[in-house]
Amino acid sequence: MLLEVKNLFKEFGGVIANADISLEVREGMIMGLIGPNGAGKTTLFNCIAGYYRPTRGRILFDGKDITGWPSHQVARIGIARTFQGTKTLSNMTVEENVMVGAFCRTHDREVVRKEAQEIMELLDLKEKAQSLPTELPIAMQRRIELARALATKPKLLMLDEIAAGLNPLETKEILQTIKRIKEERKLTLFLIEHVMEFIMTISEIVIVMAAGRKIAEGPPEKVAREPKVIEAYLGEKYAKG
Amino acid sequence: MGRLLKDIFSFEDRPRFERIGFLIFILIVLIFPWVVKSAYGRAVMIKFLLFALFGLGWNLIGGYGGQVDLGQAKNVGFGAYATGLMMLWWNVPFWVTVPVGMVIAAAESFGVAYPMFRLKGHYFAIATLCVALVWKELFVFWDWTGGARGVEIPIRPTPNFTYMQFGSPIHYHYFIFFLFLTQLLFMNWFRKSKLGYECQAVRDDEEVAASLGINVYRTKVIAYTITGGLGAVGGSFMTVYYLYIDPDFVMPLDLSILIAMTVMVGGAGSIWGPIIGAALLIPLDMYLGAWLGAQKRLGIDFMIYAVMMMVIAAREPKGIWGIIERMRKKRAG
Repeated sequence: MLLEVKNLFKEFGGVIANADISLEVREGMIMGLIGPNGAGKTTLFNCIAGYYRPTRGRILFDGKDITGWPSHQVARIGIARTFQGTKTLSNMTVEENVMVGAFCRTHDREVVRKEAQEIMELLDLKEKAQSLPTELPIAMQRRIELARALATKPKLLMLDEIAAGLNPLETKEILQTIKRIKEERKLTLFLIEHVMEFIMTISEIVIVMAAGRKIAEGPPEKVAREPKVIEAYLGEKYAKG
Repeated sequence: MGRLLKDIFSFEDRPRFERIGFLIFILIVLIFPWVVKSAYGRAVMIKFLLFALFGLGWNLIGGYGGQVDLGQAKNVGFGAYATGLMMLWWNVPFWVTVPVGMVIAAAESFGVAYPMFRLKGHYFAIATLCVALVWKELFVFWDWTGGARGVEIPIRPTPNFTYMQFGSPIHYHYFIFFLFLTQLLFMNWFRKSKLGYECQAVRDDEEVAASLGINVYRTKVIAYTITGGLGAVGGSFMTVYYLYIDPDFVMPLDLSILIAMTVMVGGAGSIWGPIIGAALLIPLDMYLGAWLGAQKRLGIDFMIYAVMMMVIAAREPKGIWGIIERMRKKRAG
């Protein structure tokens, strides 16, 4: 198992954002995470990525207990992430953004340069290498984030709503890009998504969260029919009908 | 080794007009003392180079690192006093006192960085300011530092490369230019180094930086420590140039703020920013101070800086260099 979360709890004061979450992500798979707003998806990502320290529970990566590790150590062990709503290093060029990621594995600037070139090629960013991310459209900023995360050479890539706010065409493009880089870089993917067509087509297994709890897990088509899931999204009335 | 040298000396990655501009700048500085004969003009030039030197060092934490440090004067003071006291007590040669001053300043910076970087943004800026003020008061209070009376450097009868004492400003001109160039080349290496990239990432977004494997806290502490060491060099120069130092002269709040301001006005986080800022502010500072002082209108110069500062902060956070870059981009389309 590449990633294992065991009975994870995260509480903020009295608010329980994650309650008793357990999950397993197998190497090479694409795992989806869905749920209504406020279900605790991003909190769970933040716990795994070391941004939050879980209140209780354990997180194992490649068999190693990484519970409570700070973000930079989590990144170095091989978990990369993108952020909800896009976060770029706004005063650095696209190339520099990617180079910062590549510096994670080496001190050698020439190696970093070469890797950044390769990754920008892979993600079709080469033409914009010298632009500032803020000058570029949102779809391209998402690709920059993806490139930067890839440059750290992760085993597990966690994407938090990478398709949010994109139009259908852009969504399709990024979906294909993600599939392509997964194959080429032999990645394991764990993604949060609100765009249903996106997550339902790409994921092998989907986990559904609601109100901080995991309420369902399984192949997308099966999960979509579960009354509990429909109830969480649309309310009790529709689930019964 | 070859690559290290290349990283230090090469400006190849910068556009052509920058490299040409830089060459012209070097030529101007080289011939300056042969063209300008007035003592005042030469003094302005030396002060400009001194503040460009200060700015280069401060740019590491303040520009690349994005941490507003308003206490760089303490490091200038450490350098100045290390040189002054060691010369006074033991006749130590100048070139030995410089690294000692740098190590003292870096060590102190490392020590205070540990608690200080628990603070962020404005709170960090205030903390740096307070630490520098405490040191200044200590240097006034202590006897062994000469207290408020300061330190007078014994004057050597003949011009002297061991103690860097000369009769003519021309020597000091090339001396400070040499120190400035070494710092510039160091910064040229730094901006391409892993640490340089890490600092900039931390400046732009700490959360993203951490997600890319950067230890944010450690990066800040290292950057602050190096900045401390760099600041001491100019202090050592001040001691042998002015031959007299006291806490009000080498470690006041005004100095900290002027250093930070030259960089912000010129362009924080760019290699040329500190030079441009010092080229503008130092002559202005000296002429305004003299002119307004003669008219008994002291204080108006400070108002002018304050207004400049506000305009820069509101209109162009990347300073004059930011304006130049934008114009160039526009022209390139």
